[in-house]
Amino acid sequence: MPRANQSAGLEKDTDALAQLAQWLQLKVAPEDLAALSKQLRVIDELEGDALQDYPPILRMDADWHD
Amino acid sequence: MTESRALIDLSISEAAAAIRRSETSSVALTQATLARIKETEATLQAYAAVPAELALAAAERADRELAAGHDRGPLHGIPIAVKDNCYSKGIRTEVGSKVYAGFVPDYDATVVEKLYAAGAVVIGKTVCHEFSCGGSDPPTRSPWDLSRFPGGSSIGSGVALAARSAFGAIGTDTGGSVRIPASINNLVGMKATYGRVSAYGVVPLAWSLDHVGPMTRAVLDNALMLRAIAGHDPKDANSARAAVPDFAAGIDGGLPGARIGIDRGYFFYPGVVDSVRAAAEGVIEALAALGADIIEVNLPELALTRETLSTIRMVESASYHRRQIQEKGHLYSPGTRATLEIGQVVLATAYVAALRARERFRAAMKALFKRENLDALISPTIPVPAPLRADVWQPRDDMEDGETPTDGFVHHVYPANLSGQPAISAPAGFSPDGLPIGYSLIGRPFDEATLYRIAYAYERTQNWHERQPPQVYPTP
Repeated sequence: MPRANQSAGLEKDTDALAQLAQWLQLKVAPEDLAALSKQLRVIDELEGDALQDYPPILRMDADWHD
Repeated sequence: MTESRALIDLSISEAAAAIRRSETSSVALTQATLARIKETEATLQAYAAVPAELALAAAERADRELAAGHDRGPLHGIPIAVKDNCYSKGIRTEVGSKVYAGFVPDYDATVVEKLYAAGAVVIGKTVCHEFSCGGSDPPTRSPWDLSRFPGGSSIGSGVALAARSAFGAIGTDTGGSVRIPASINNLVGMKATYGRVSAYGVVPLAWSLDHVGPMTRAVLDNALMLRAIAGHDPKDANSARAAVPDFAAGIDGGLPGARIGIDRGYFFYPGVVDSVRAAAEGVIEALAALGADIIEVNLPELALTRETLSTIRMVESASYHRRQIQEKGHLYSPGTRATLEIGQVVLATAYVAALRARERFRAAMKALFKRENLDALISPTIPVPAPLRADVWQPRDDMEDGETPTDGFVHHVYPANLSGQPAISAPAGFSPDGLPIGYSLIGRPFDEATLYRIAYAYERTQNWHERQPPQVYPTP
């Protein structure tokens, strides 16, 4: 994605989060929402990377020895 | 009878041996610890509650049991501190928050129950950041330098141990909160495998990332404590059914054939300052000299641990606190409240994606350990020695990208919380201005014993862990 579009996309994401925070009556700083939108963008990009192959559960197994 | 000042310097294993040789008693150890608390607390403020009468009664009971031949093991009669997010029956538990002001639980967290079962004396509850997240500013100060950050969120546990006002301590670790204060206070801290130690009765920060762990001044002590507090607990849905070995048995087995990986690209990134880099390299050289194979590795998936863990943490914290904030939001400090409620705006799909990303990360880590037949990954615990308290959240002068010391902490400690692998921090040396530096080992799930064996082998090559902070004894 070109950098300008990416930046505009992040601003749009942050605005959406701000609206949601307002609707939920949360006291969240704009800079925290901006950081969160960047974080969620990373997670969103991961989803396109075969993430569906991995179950959303935590499994602690002991068979890490050969 | 050993003198009071010498008593508080003993390790757990030394104190346990002294009790059994009748050179001291649980009551004497407890009295010495209470005196030490009285001496240091006005300055350090490591404790949220010190139930002296309960502790002395427990010590008398411990001595009576030992005299009658009922020996509960190496923690019997030893004063241990417990982080104030663990429920303790009859002892005030406030989790660092006005929300819990004056709260006295009517039951014990399983970890506290297990300490009592092992004969330990709960000497007090240690200060933690409010609800174990970084949004508050506790009054606790570092004995190494009062102007420096003393660690968190198990802040009081680390300071009490360094100040010799406890022999061992319980901490909790969701994003490094055992290992960071351990590194900063010249201690050994173990975040065992997820589910190894029950979290029942511990006020959660994020249920799928929370770990309970022991903090001590020596590696052997840590192994003794972990054995006492580990084990399956039907009251904790995430508790592991894995057998609990004697972690101290074979701890002196040396390093023949040990394979230790190092991802220099990630764990020695430019944010690692020279003194920390040199100390960690010193540990690596020493381990190689002891016979370990050091293997250079590269795990690109490490780069996404922060975003993945943060997304999971935010949502799980928000879920736990949502109702409570609606009812008692005014009692939260503003920083804590903001940290705990922002997760409400994260979509459920993003949370599930982060859970999937965690599993992908864990799978990549597992593949690396199998491919290279690794026993552990090694790293500095955190990239910098303790920063000034005022600088913890400020951009570092020596970093161009605005990275704060806290950013560096999470960079190094989050991977083991995300994967659930065991991770230990132990002393690696000191900065030129006398601040402790720690190194970490991340191991295979349920193989804490190997981490103890490696850390013990290194500990025997030097005496970093015996060095005491300058504030421990007041200047005459």
